[in-house]
Amino acid sequence: MKVHVDQRKCVGSGQCARTVPEVFDQRDEDGIVVLRTAQPDDRLAPAVRKASRHCPAQAIRIEEP
Amino acid sequence: MVAIPAPAATALPDAPRFPFGRECPFHPPSLYARARSAGPLFAVTLWNGRRAWLVTRHEEIRAVLMDDRRFSGAMAHPDFPTVTEARVTVDRNERAFVGMDNPAHDHYRRMFTREFSVRRMLALKARIQAIADAVIDELAAHGPPADLAGTLAVKFPSLVMSALIGSPYEDHRFIIDCAVGRHGLTQTPGEALEKARALAAYFRRLIDDKEARPGDDLVSRVIESHVKPGQLSRDDFAEIGAMILRAGHDTTTNMIGMGMLLCLRDEDLRRRAADPASVDAAVEELLRFITPVQFSPRRVALEDVEIGGTTVRKGEGLFLLLASANRDERVFADPDRIDCARDATDHLTFGYGIHQCLGQTLARYELQVIYPALLGRLPGLRLAVPLEEIRFKDDMQIYGVHNLPVAW
Repeated sequence: MKVHVDQRKCVGSGQCARTVPEVFDQRDEDGIVVLRTAQPDDRLAPAVRKASRHCPAQAIRIEEP
Repeated sequence: MVAIPAPAATALPDAPRFPFGRECPFHPPSLYARARSAGPLFAVTLWNGRRAWLVTRHEEIRAVLMDDRRFSGAMAHPDFPTVTEARVTVDRNERAFVGMDNPAHDHYRRMFTREFSVRRMLALKARIQAIADAVIDELAAHGPPADLAGTLAVKFPSLVMSALIGSPYEDHRFIIDCAVGRHGLTQTPGEALEKARALAAYFRRLIDDKEARPGDDLVSRVIESHVKPGQLSRDDFAEIGAMILRAGHDTTTNMIGMGMLLCLRDEDLRRRAADPASVDAAVEELLRFITPVQFSPRRVALEDVEIGGTTVRKGEGLFLLLASANRDERVFADPDRIDCARDATDHLTFGYGIHQCLGQTLARYELQVIYPALLGRLPGLRLAVPLEEIRFKDDMQIYGVHNLPVAW
């Protein structure tokens, strides 16, 4: 799985960082999403898919192999 | 044997007056479910005789809230739909980003997102726990009976907001009075506007105080980061601050009151909400089941849009019924049952799209702390009156209970 985030779309709800902190973080200055890793471990895949589905700005895109 | 014919399915009423009354205090009006089974849109008539659409299904509600190009959330729009005459006045005078479309919305919101970031909220969690313990100590010292809705459910979120914002705790009654005066369904336009203006004026004075005497709080930090560099005017900050104060008090208070009432009536829910290991899932299920925000979000169509075979005309208003989305059978099995074992996280209680609740992580942490703290410390907690004596907030835009007499 490959993860992409769109910082222009992000509204800083922080829900990805709350639920999958291994993969998502927030910028200190404005709470906008930053990726810790674009290729997360397989065991995190279900949580990452859910974070993508729940993102209120649809700013998380997933490329499945 | 005479066969009794099955009753014909009752036809849906033609554009009934909205809002509807609840048949049962624990469920949304039954017309939501009937409308939802018929289609994603349902026409209603508002207080001013205007027609509007209820959007009732999870999928279509998410789609509309994501479609900023064809639907506007600008509260100043002349066709923006309202539930009361007072709400028109409130909407027209809304100056915070909650009532703006992009790009203005993101411009202002991004000045505040870091104040509600997960990192900052996690850092606040120990303080939230300490506040919870202190208010429960106070309740225990007072002794039974006590009205949980009027005491702890108000005081706990007020103290948390006070710690975050830097507003003096003594001001919380005034803040709540302003929030409630604006969130009612029965007040006059004059009263609603006066309360809205009073809270912004209060926050404007708070900004002056913090400029003179800065502290470790939201107001002082935003003054440094955005007001002093000239990116945010003091008046705009005051309007946004008033919005944050209103949102941070009324909603959490109602989740505590209603959530505790449900816990006291349901052994499985109570056990799960009392246990720190299972409370997170219980909180999500309670957020789904209760859905305190009743008549927001709203949108107005900027062009003709077809949704599920029905055309919404340019200029028509829509109510995105979160409470209906959260009972949508297409997403949640047996939706009218509280089931903490389900994954409730698809709920839309905090909205969706660019306006999704800025304070949702704070709200979640408050609830994840207060339910187990209260149920753990007072294991004998029980309702002190029959259910018939509980007054539900059918007169408010944020649903909950007016009173919750308990003993232990």
